[in-house]
Amino acid sequence: MATLKTNTLTGTSTAGSIAVTGEGNSTTTNLQQGLCKCWVNFNGTATDAASRDTFNVSGMTDSATGNYVVSFSNNMGNANFSGVAVQGNNDATNAGVNATSAVGHTASSASGIETSNLDPASTDFQQISAVYHGDLA
Amino acid sequence: MSNLLVQNIKHTNNTTSMAIDTSGQVTIRGEGSATTTNLQQGLAKGWLQFNGTSTAAIQDSFNYASITDHTTGDYSSTLTNAMANNDYSVNISGAGADFIQQSVTTSATRVEVYNTSASGVDVAIVSKTAHGDLA
Repeated sequence: MATLKTNTLTGTSTAGSIAVTGEGNSTTTNLQQGLCKCWVNFNGTATDAASRDTFNVSGMTDSATGNYVVSFSNNMGNANFSGVAVQGNNDATNAGVNATSAVGHTASSASGIETSNLDPASTDFQQISAVYHGDLA
Repeated sequence: MSNLLVQNIKHTNNTTSMAIDTSGQVTIRGEGSATTTNLQQGLAKGWLQFNGTSTAAIQDSFNYASITDHTTGDYSSTLTNAMANNDYSVNISGAGADFIQQSVTTSATRVEVYNTSASGVDVAIVSKTAHGDLA
């Protein structure tokens, strides 16, 4: 068995671009492009929208009811990254399945999340999760 | 291009980080070190942000080649490298959207954005991610 010992993997043509064989073995996908660059689980009803667990998040801001800002530790390369969020509550009788969330951003350093009920009125939810994909700076 | 034939990638302290099987699938050490996870399965196979106002325009993307603006709030995005089946996971958010409906084929995903009156609406920022098996 061949074993490579290293602390860092770097692309040869482009340092930040490594190809990986896909599941079907007929094509490749890009390692860096496929990696989630940030994720967060936070409590929208808590003071300051306290996060439970995160990756690449430097802080949360509770801007208003159902309105939050996720700030990144390592910024994205631009504001054109993809951000998707979903929300719900802890008890099934008051679940958030009929609610909506929206993600918007105009900066590379942060993203806004808005959650609302069916009215639609801005609403805080207990369980809010978001994932971000795109280019790191 | 140089090729390195290897089955394991370890830290210099001898801790295994990745193992590569005969089909090229990579098993990678988990954060808690108690389990491993599959690298390919964990990668997003596509992501996209587009502006749905006026004629829909892709702002940035990975593995999405183009977008079609069918009508108000109704858009299709075509994958460059197709998925293996229609069973992959697609997640979508739209800034200002009240309801979102989606449908998928192996080569494209379609999103319809509505307001509370069930009327299609164009919104400025729509994001989606796709996870699943590449063809």
